[in-house]
Amino acid sequence: MIKLVRTGALLLGLLSTTAMADVVVVVNKANSSALDQKTVQRIFLGKDKKFPDGSPLTAINQSAESPTRASFDERVLGRNSSQVSAYWSKLVFTGKGVPPMELPNDQAVIEKVASTPDAIGYVDSTSVTDSVTVININ
Amino acid sequence: MKKLLLASAVAAACGTNAASADIRINGFANLTAGFTTSENVDAAGNTTDLFGYDDNVDFSNGSLFAIQVSGDVNENVTATAQLLARGENDYEADFEWAYLTYSVNDNLAVNAGRLRLPLFRYSASSDVGYSYHWAQTPFSVYDVPFTNLDGVRIDYSNNIGDWDYSLQFGAGTYESEIGDGVINGENVLLVTAEATYESFKARLVYGQSDSTFAEATTDAAFAQLAQISPGLANKVALRDDRGTFKGVGLEYDNFEWFISGEFTEVSTEDSFAADDVAYFVTAGTRLGKFTPSLTYEARDGEGDVKFLEDIAALPAQFQPAAAAVVVGFQNFFFEDYSLTTLGLRYDVDSQVALKFDVSSYENKIQDELDATLVRVAVNYVF
Repeated sequence: MIKLVRTGALLLGLLSTTAMADVVVVVNKANSSALDQKTVQRIFLGKDKKFPDGSPLTAINQSAESPTRASFDERVLGRNSSQVSAYWSKLVFTGKGVPPMELPNDQAVIEKVASTPDAIGYVDSTSVTDSVTVININ
Repeated sequence: MKKLLLASAVAAACGTNAASADIRINGFANLTAGFTTSENVDAAGNTTDLFGYDDNVDFSNGSLFAIQVSGDVNENVTATAQLLARGENDYEADFEWAYLTYSVNDNLAVNAGRLRLPLFRYSASSDVGYSYHWAQTPFSVYDVPFTNLDGVRIDYSNNIGDWDYSLQFGAGTYESEIGDGVINGENVLLVTAEATYESFKARLVYGQSDSTFAEATTDAAFAQLAQISPGLANKVALRDDRGTFKGVGLEYDNFEWFISGEFTEVSTEDSFAADDVAYFVTAGTRLGKFTPSLTYEARDGEGDVKFLEDIAALPAQFQPAAAAVVVGFQNFFFEDYSLTTLGLRYDVDSQVALKFDVSSYENKIQDELDATLVRVAVNYVF
């Protein structure tokens, strides 16, 4: 029985991995920036503090528990969440940077981005609604 | 007193903004247990320790707890204070850092107060175990008596295409305890340049200060020497003598594997202190949650005994006494050792890491002191 539950959990885990595979970057409807993956990387690593056109930005991250976060870290930032967190701990404890605000899930990110003109966030592609603009970073 | 003022300034700065949500509290903790696999007894039969560790398990040497509070005073000014309690100081909490940052723009910031001297790649986060793969940063390179600066630091960062670079300039004073003595530096100047291109990172650092070391036994010995020859005593003692620090760091890290190293040279003109050359090279690979690594580090602070001509120039009857002090001090501070460390980091989650390091220590002055050091650490950040 235990084995079965475990296998089930494992399968679920695998399924959710495949399901969360598609992460998309979202911005406010009023934002017409074109961004490539490198720029998104720089924004979420705190290296760029403004959009390429010089307008201010507010990056919205997802909390460590969110599966979208793990996928974003791996696919867009190119490192796992522990490495991203080690990276930020270096900046935070030097006073060189403040990590982006964190929201618990896709829905919260969409609401925030829809209501904040300079916001940039990411969500699973299946969570996207027409209240935000999806940016193709590839 | 100075400390208290600094602390209250930061508290006051944060306080004015207490109503807003812009106070950030972060913290970190390291719990490190370490021991040497055998007793450390030197050639003279004295039992000693290895970087604070001996053959009894020690929990305090590499352990610490810290809280960092920062708040925005206004749009451009941020106040930061870090309260840190080290196990080696009986967890007595101390303001490790307390400074104000004025952000001129996105590229330029001026910091004033007590802050970390950016000497090494991991200077700023050397207390944050979570930020690196070792149980502790390599002793040979990082174990220097000057880590914090009371003064000003200017940070500039920018990029040229895919090249990110940063420049840091620091000026001020430092003070720290060595054993029962105190070393302090005046007129500290430090310049650091760092460049990052994709997986490559390089850094260069140059610093200087006028250093003075004061300690009861040392001072008494030099006072005696001064009775024979004031000139020689002044030469040998570390009093307002210019010290320089040079460092180079290189790193390649593609997140699957990494190799990096730092090389530093510390020299002090006209004193008993020998020039120290130290370096480490480390390489590792990230296999999911595991990061196995191998590190070789060494410090060579052994040189020719200095001031022999000065002793020879003294009247013959004073030579033995002068030699005892002059040569004795230099010999006492000579160091020449290396460590080879096999380490394993395990990421429990994005806030907790476990480390297991085994180091083989080789003392090139006294073979008797060769030892094996085992360290287990839990690192936490929030």
